[in-house]
Amino acid sequence: MLKHAAIAALLAAPALAEETEFVIPEGVTLEEGLAAWDRIYEVTSHPRCSNCHVGADNVPMWSGPSYGDTARPHGMNINAGDSRVGAEYVQCSTCHAYREFAPADTTPHAAPQVAADWRLAPVEAEWFGKASREICTQLRDPARNGGRGFEDIAVHLGHDVILHWAWNPGPGRQPAPYSLEEHTQDVLIWGAAGMPCEGDS
Amino acid sequence: MKLTVNDTEHEVDVDPAMPLLWVLRDELGITGPKYGCGIAQCGACTVHIDGQAVRSCQVAIGDLVGDVTTIEGLGTPDLRHAVQEAWIEGQVAQCGYCQSGQIMQAASLLETNPAPTDDDIDRAMSGNLCRCGTYPRIRAAIHSAAAKLQEG
Amino acid sequence: MGKLKTFTRRAFLVGSATIAGGVAFGTYLVKRDPDNPLAVSLAEGEATFNPWVLIDAERITLIAPHGDSGQGVLSTQAALIAEEMDLGWGDFEVSFGVPSGAYWNRALAADGVPFMPTDESFAANTARSAMNSVAKVVGIQGTGGSSSMPDSYVKLREAGAMARETLKLAASQRSGVPVAELGTQAGAVVLPDGTSIPYTDLAAEASTLEPVEGTALRDLSSWTLLGAPMERLDIVAKSTGTQDYGIDLVVDGMVHASVCLNPAKGAPLIGYDAEDALAMPGVQKVVEVTGGVAVIASNTWYAIQGAMAVDCQWGEADYPAEQADHWAALEAAFTEDALDQEWRNDGDVEAALDAGDVIEAEYRMPYVAHQPLEPLNAIVRVTDAQVEVWTGHQLPRFLQQVVAGVTGHDTDDVIFHNQFMGGSFGHRLEFEHLKQAAEIANQMRGTPVKLTYSREEDFSQDFTRHIAMGRGRASVSGGQVTGIDLGVASPSVVASQMSRMGLSVPGPDSQIVAGAWNNPYSLPNYRMRGYRAEGLAPTSSWRAVGANNGGFAFDCLLDEAIHAAGADPLAERIRLMEHDVSRKVLEAVGEMSSWGGELPANRARGIAFVESFGVPVAEVVEVEQTDAGIAIRDVWVACDVGRVLDPVNFENLVQGGVIFGLGHAINCEITYAGGRAEQSNYHAHEGMRMYQTPAIHVRGLENGEHVRGIGEPPTPCAPPALANAIFALTGQRLREMPFNKFIDFV
Repeated sequence: MLKHAAIAALLAAPALAEETEFVIPEGVTLEEGLAAWDRIYEVTSHPRCSNCHVGADNVPMWSGPSYGDTARPHGMNINAGDSRVGAEYVQCSTCHAYREFAPADTTPHAAPQVAADWRLAPVEAEWFGKASREICTQLRDPARNGGRGFEDIAVHLGHDVILHWAWNPGPGRQPAPYSLEEHTQDVLIWGAAGMPCEGDS
Repeated sequence: MKLTVNDTEHEVDVDPAMPLLWVLRDELGITGPKYGCGIAQCGACTVHIDGQAVRSCQVAIGDLVGDVTTIEGLGTPDLRHAVQEAWIEGQVAQCGYCQSGQIMQAASLLETNPAPTDDDIDRAMSGNLCRCGTYPRIRAAIHSAAAKLQEG
Repeated sequence: MGKLKTFTRRAFLVGSATIAGGVAFGTYLVKRDPDNPLAVSLAEGEATFNPWVLIDAERITLIAPHGDSGQGVLSTQAALIAEEMDLGWGDFEVSFGVPSGAYWNRALAADGVPFMPTDESFAANTARSAMNSVAKVVGIQGTGGSSSMPDSYVKLREAGAMARETLKLAASQRSGVPVAELGTQAGAVVLPDGTSIPYTDLAAEASTLEPVEGTALRDLSSWTLLGAPMERLDIVAKSTGTQDYGIDLVVDGMVHASVCLNPAKGAPLIGYDAEDALAMPGVQKVVEVTGGVAVIASNTWYAIQGAMAVDCQWGEADYPAEQADHWAALEAAFTEDALDQEWRNDGDVEAALDAGDVIEAEYRMPYVAHQPLEPLNAIVRVTDAQVEVWTGHQLPRFLQQVVAGVTGHDTDDVIFHNQFMGGSFGHRLEFEHLKQAAEIANQMRGTPVKLTYSREEDFSQDFTRHIAMGRGRASVSGGQVTGIDLGVASPSVVASQMSRMGLSVPGPDSQIVAGAWNNPYSLPNYRMRGYRAEGLAPTSSWRAVGANNGGFAFDCLLDEAIHAAGADPLAERIRLMEHDVSRKVLEAVGEMSSWGGELPANRARGIAFVESFGVPVAEVVEVEQTDAGIAIRDVWVACDVGRVLDPVNFENLVQGGVIFGLGHAINCEITYAGGRAEQSNYHAHEGMRMYQTPAIHVRGLENGEHVRGIGEPPTPCAPPALANAIFALTGQRLREMPFNKFIDFV
């Protein structure tokens, strides 16, 4: 029960309207776990998330319904560098300004802004264009997920205001599917089922 | 709200959501930074905040932290920054509307990378749109400014 | 709160108000001259010899009536005068002047066409083409059609010579030294003993003299300014953030406005709810304008935010709501009924097609937006007595008429202060934003109103380049191209543009076929027809206008035919080109690029030739296939403007024109859905950026008889050269712009 409380508290991040208590479910079947993972994959492979979960070329992507049929590298020849914050060339924060007190900019296609330094996800978490099993095995591998168990992943979801933006991306952009709360609950279901991945034998 | 622009402190009473660009232009009368797109697509509004190039149309005044330098603070017609000098010698501008932003971005690039390659310039400068197409001269002027700065 | 900068003029720029505000007249003779606006308000001791030169005891002011949207004509106009006047470069002020019939554009005057209506010669039709299109648009005093240099080249040097000789006469009368023994240097008359008398010192005396006319112009071998690199007069201001554009000006007591207009261009406002907007910070009021509403606020951003918050109900567009129907209208326009004009029918095309192998192709050229980086803006102050307007515009006299038409004032009571433009590409030939600014200011008489468009509104209201479709056949036989039969269908951009000025244009529109019918090739069999599609979206002149469409269709078709004939793209173009000046342009670009030489792996080249505004242009584009897509590596450009007046500015304009052509060909189009443009900002209509920009090598030839302008001609040649290069690289013919719909670029 201690775990519940911790997660609940940490999920009380600014992006959440109100504190949400999460319960780690018991008696989750493999099927329920895999179903939860499928929903998680819908989120992790969604452009709002995967565009910044790119590989070692450090080039964020522009894709999703507002960009037409085909994905393209982030315009303006943007490269976030090995720093993943653009320090080598143009800082991500040159355009993705820090925004905490002022209300969100509602101009369509304005640069996404949150109360954090905009950055790419770590290179280990390369999701863009990856299949379900590839993302799944990365997420359950502590060597490649920041040393996290599934509860820690759920806690991380509550912390990270950049990922909260995925569900509130402003006009002209399609939000990530489900909600942050549902996504967090799915991570807990998936974890309770033993973090199964498609094709596990 | 207080802000420091080109070493001068100002106080403004505006909606905290107002972008820095419009505080500079309409409230303080500092018009070197230009409005081009309003969504960080063109770079014409580029200023420095604590030395870093930033699109001033994207910074809400309520979230501004740091000292602002505009092109007017970089150098003046009589006392020019090396980048401005290179821009004049290289006869870069056509309409000139984007050039304040180009110069501020270039000055920031040379702060962190004193001898940029063509590839470095392509990466640092491609967020600054020039509708007249002065890019070949911008590239040459950056190389020339880099050489100037290295000579001291 | 910082102190606001009030409206001030640049040190070298005297605003028109100063000139118009004098109190006393100068000479009787000059005062009588209705063609010199400078004479109307001369103060005591001021001298003007013609509409371009004004001198008093303090300063020399040159008038540069052609507007400057970045092409540098302020400097070049001044240099033409200064060359003959022997002024030190920059030792004078320059003004855009006041709107006046004195500044009529001679290069575009209708009676300047030296051909009988029956003359069907190539030259005659070329001349008429210019008249039928650009002249009608540009009118009495105008900047456009790359005409500033053709108009100014002789006229402004004559103005300078006249001023110089009159000042020498004044010096002669003062000193007793015969005029023939006087020289001039650095803004002064020099006596044989070496004494120099500054022009400013002679102004009062010169103002009593009859201007000396008929002086022969100097031979170009004695030029000290023209033909050599000169520092643009605006370069320091534009490199230090101190150049004011219209958008930067502040007039005392000014309020800010922004508009929310029907995205179905030209359609009406049905109703609106401004409650939310009025509750927003800084918003003062909401007023109606034709086709929409304007929000008045204490700051531009408040006005833009307010305009976004007005809930409007719109009338429907009078053009097709969906893009597919625009293309369908063009497809349906290749009919006898829609034939606008058969522009050319040399030889026997049908026989050539019967005799040879036939290539057939269709080309599509989309709507493209202008979108200079300075959004549309204007400051207007209406009082019962007069209207003042501050903005950058290419048609000052029409601006006065349009504004007067809104406010009910006499045209002469509209005082216009022309400004440097942050780009135009034809955008600032338009008047709708001025009508709106005048409508707002007229509802708030006494208060200056600054209207600024948001970028989104600017995209939404852009009267784009006209959409066009080309359908052609070419015949090849014996390894040669033997005939071309091309039709181009498009709406009439001239009719669209003129309609917004309340004018109708009879006769065919040469801009439907520009770049295609007027090619100086000597093809033995050559038919060129223009078809007019009605009822499409409103359009306007976009840098080089019709030549972008006709040039693309013609040159790509020719290239396809040349490849089918198995000939070399450069050699066959040269073989077909009897026109000497144009052939030399092709030969030059071949030499510059070492055409036919060995290329590195994964590289290929294409060539194109397009003539526009009397300037033959040939370009070679070299592309490379990389892992990230196609990269454009090098472009070689040869063109002939008769005389290159400023080599540095010339190179800059040619490079910019090529980049403009390439960038839009790669990734720009405006498409309609639900009657509105789908592209709302630069993310969706990007143009070229630094990382895509090739090295561009420029050579200006001087074989042409006439001095021509270079602001537009480099643009239409770039897309076909790129398409032809991509074919050479990949075997894929790109017959529709933008190309990124079909292939990936770096």
